[in-house]
Amino acid sequence: MSDNKKRVMIELDNVSLSYHSGKKTFDHGTHHVLNQVSLKLYEGETLGIIGRNGVGKTTLLQLMAGILAPTLGEVRVHPGKSASLLTLGLGFKPDLSGRDNALLAAMLQGATRKRAESFLDDIAEFSELGDSFNEPVKKYSSGMRSRLAFTTALMTHVDVLLIDEVLSVGDADFRGKAQVAMTNRVQGEQTVVFVSHMADQVKQMCNRVIWLDKGRIAAEGDSAEVVDAYTQHVTQARVDGTLQQTALQQQFEAKLQADPKLQAAVKQQIEAKLKADAQQQADTKQ
Amino acid sequence: MPFSQYFRLIDVMARMALRADATRFFLGYIWWVLEPLLWVAVFYVVFVLILAMQKPDFLVFLMTGKLVFVWFSKSVTQASNSIVGSKGLVGKINVPKTLFPMAVVQEGLYRQIAVFALLFSFLLSAGYAVTSTWWYLVPVILVTYVVIVACAFVGACLVCLARDFIQLISLGMLFLMFTSGIFWDVRSLSDPHKTEMVMAMNPLAFIVDCYRQIMMHNTPPDMLHLLTIGAGFGALLCAMVLVMRHKSQYLALRALTA
Repeated sequence: MSDNKKRVMIELDNVSLSYHSGKKTFDHGTHHVLNQVSLKLYEGETLGIIGRNGVGKTTLLQLMAGILAPTLGEVRVHPGKSASLLTLGLGFKPDLSGRDNALLAAMLQGATRKRAESFLDDIAEFSELGDSFNEPVKKYSSGMRSRLAFTTALMTHVDVLLIDEVLSVGDADFRGKAQVAMTNRVQGEQTVVFVSHMADQVKQMCNRVIWLDKGRIAAEGDSAEVVDAYTQHVTQARVDGTLQQTALQQQFEAKLQADPKLQAAVKQQIEAKLKADAQQQADTKQ
Repeated sequence: MPFSQYFRLIDVMARMALRADATRFFLGYIWWVLEPLLWVAVFYVVFVLILAMQKPDFLVFLMTGKLVFVWFSKSVTQASNSIVGSKGLVGKINVPKTLFPMAVVQEGLYRQIAVFALLFSFLLSAGYAVTSTWWYLVPVILVTYVVIVACAFVGACLVCLARDFIQLISLGMLFLMFTSGIFWDVRSLSDPHKTEMVMAMNPLAFIVDCYRQIMMHNTPPDMLHLLTIGAGFGALLCAMVLVMRHKSQYLALRALTA
């Protein structure tokens, strides 16, 4: 396999991450986010990570970027290579203007002030923010925020680009433009890890895909195969969920017909609700 | 991160915070001098008009102590919240965690320049003369800065470990305000041993007294005591830098999840 000849940029070796949440909602207060995950990221590839919300995708990227350290196992980054996480929101400071936030983001990622300033005009132009670029970010709509975040992310140059759900936002026009810009960036020599729960996007952009489920790798391999398996799983889960709901509803209806006491209780509740609604409506009119 | 980039970032973050603060208020930068002036006005009403304090120059005495103390307490309290408050950035980029409290301390330093200018002009207009003794203010200000940075680092780490420390830190500031001789003179305690003890136990009481001795009484401070405080807090500061560098990812995890 050609992957063997390629240089490994980042390697995760049996990595687990758990933390003590202080609240006894999990395993005696310990929350297990990732469980014995091993993977290799090769130079020049675009690796997709797919999974539902809360399965540990963002945490995986944070481990790769060195933001977090694993509780167990090891994260090895090729010496001299930098990995940077690009994500929506970018930790904006709401009181600062879009310009200041972009400048700060670029400088935090290692650019000198001069270099960071040289990006600003491009960022203003691509993000189409116009005069709002100099307004505080707290006045931005969520679409404007994501446009700024995406554009700031696009301008950074690092060895490994870790992308977290950046393409799922903005209006249709901007999304198209962003998709083109990102595809240009991803093609070629750039090593990329791309996280999303949008199956089509991952299929289109990635060479290889890892499906993460409940903190573990559920499947890994060719993007089309893994994405199809994931989509099938999600659809099946949805069907199962609907069936379960319908079954519960049917059970309840059967019980209702057989039990006059229950009928009276439900009737009483409905009447109380109708009365409360009517009262509320009258109050609003006054 | 190279040193030069680190310090440039601190400067940029501090300036941006100041600018953001100025745009948030209608009076903008005027608040820099208006806030300490209002403090003075409050002191005047309470201590001169209501309590009719007979001690001469009590207002100057109060201003010197309070304005130095506010520099310390505001910087440390705000810096303690800085890592947790920058959760958004902490979760997205691996930068030295000292950056966040340092930016807050730097912001406080820039504000303090305006406050000192106000204090000096107030002293001059009250008839005090600038003498060569005032040069001693340089090491005193430097030591105050080192104390602030060290405490800011400790506070920022503690709040990462448990948010409850925010409550303790504000309570601690109140305790320090009452024990550092802001409203009363450490030297006027009936028992001289007690004065010595307060100064030895509470570095802030000693520092506040240094400012008063230099500016009001034209007396140089006890340099050995000052250097001891500087060296002690300097060592604490260095230790905190090492701890925060070594535990950077742990602090990030705590800031993100606690």
